[in-house]
Amino acid sequence: MVEWRVGPGDRVARGDIVALVETEKGLIEVEIFDSGVIESLVVPPGTKVPVGTVLATIRADAEPVRAAAATAPPAAPTPPMAAARLRVSPAARRLAEESGVDLATVTGTGPEGVIQKIDVQRAAAAPEAAATPEAAATPAPDRLAAMRRVIAAAMARSKREIPHYYLATDIDVSRAMAWLEAENARRAVPDRLLPSVLLLRAVALAVQDVPEMNGFWVDGAFRAGAGVHVGVAISLRQGGLVAPAIHDVDRKRADDVMRELLDLVKRARAGVLRSSEVSDATITVTNLGDQGVETVFGVIYPPQVALVGFGRVVERPWASGGMLGVRPVVTASLSADHRASDGHRGGRFLASIARRLEEPEAL
Amino acid sequence: MTADEIRQRLFRVLRSVAPESQPEQLDPSRNYRDELDLDSVDYMNVMVGLNQAFGIDIPETDYRALETVDGAVAYFGRRLAPGA
Repeated sequence: MVEWRVGPGDRVARGDIVALVETEKGLIEVEIFDSGVIESLVVPPGTKVPVGTVLATIRADAEPVRAAAATAPPAAPTPPMAAARLRVSPAARRLAEESGVDLATVTGTGPEGVIQKIDVQRAAAAPEAAATPEAAATPAPDRLAAMRRVIAAAMARSKREIPHYYLATDIDVSRAMAWLEAENARRAVPDRLLPSVLLLRAVALAVQDVPEMNGFWVDGAFRAGAGVHVGVAISLRQGGLVAPAIHDVDRKRADDVMRELLDLVKRARAGVLRSSEVSDATITVTNLGDQGVETVFGVIYPPQVALVGFGRVVERPWASGGMLGVRPVVTASLSADHRASDGHRGGRFLASIARRLEEPEAL
Repeated sequence: MTADEIRQRLFRVLRSVAPESQPEQLDPSRNYRDELDLDSVDYMNVMVGLNQAFGIDIPETDYRALETVDGAVAYFGRRLAPGA
């Protein structure tokens, strides 16, 4: 427990940030999942506790006294002993052992905070997520090494378990780029949009056409995501990678997604992400265009089932309507889990992304 | 505003976007986007930061002129000069 952002008597609403905690892998702002009034802070700053420990009690609205708790994701590096005190389903415990996930770093989402199999799968998958980088300056080498190990475990598991298939398509983005240029010319600096935002929105909306790209493969079956929460892959200059989620990208305006993207990248660089951001992604987008890459062949973050990659926007010869011209083109690629979808549906998904980018004003 | 004041404001913005960076050690004639490995979102955050730090609009067409410390100093020196 690093610090409390609330005190006894404070009213809190679901989603409010109530505390800052430090895990072995970085700082995480803890959000509360119930609304009510803080009754007491149980764990004082500077204390190390196992995951699952009650950090605070709140009096929920319309209930007399109830011990809800900010059971933060974190807790300091907790040794295996601590795991024994966690409430963990047998399947989750088995999977944690198999995949090398430290249960002390897993947030339980089951009844009363029980760690379920899907929680372990998410933890194993969310390299980034879990592996929030230490902030600023140069993080300690051991923290970098820890993040590398988490990424290694998730990626190895992905390649071991997920039968990936890969598709790619070139998309003419001349309309999108022209629309952006005109829009940005009339907008103030903080309100301007980057092409990345149109790509994120196009992916999120394409999920409406092919919903089986958005969600998780759990216990031998596809489980649809509760919303369209797009994980944005952000490489950290000190090394490593995080992919925190922007929530409900399908329901937000491009302007709002842009604001959130700017904020998210800034906070990822500073090493402070929120608990929901590190655990909620239902599909991931990676954009390597800045590095000059033209085509991405991505590795899916288990238990997610799809990852969309974008390369650089390049001018290419483009034949259309019997005419040859030069157009700005981006290559969109899809890495998808063949257990959850087939190439035909993957193709439809990419086609939907392309179609939406042709109507940028609708994004 | 003096060149040094402009430089200090720029450095503050760069540190806020790239906390691990030491902008005062940059070669002022070289592209700091490359030097600091700033991607397009980072650079957008730099532009937003400069917009707030200097209180003037920066057209998108001017972004490239701000990719070096020297370029930014010259640009804001010109834009902030009396009568500009």
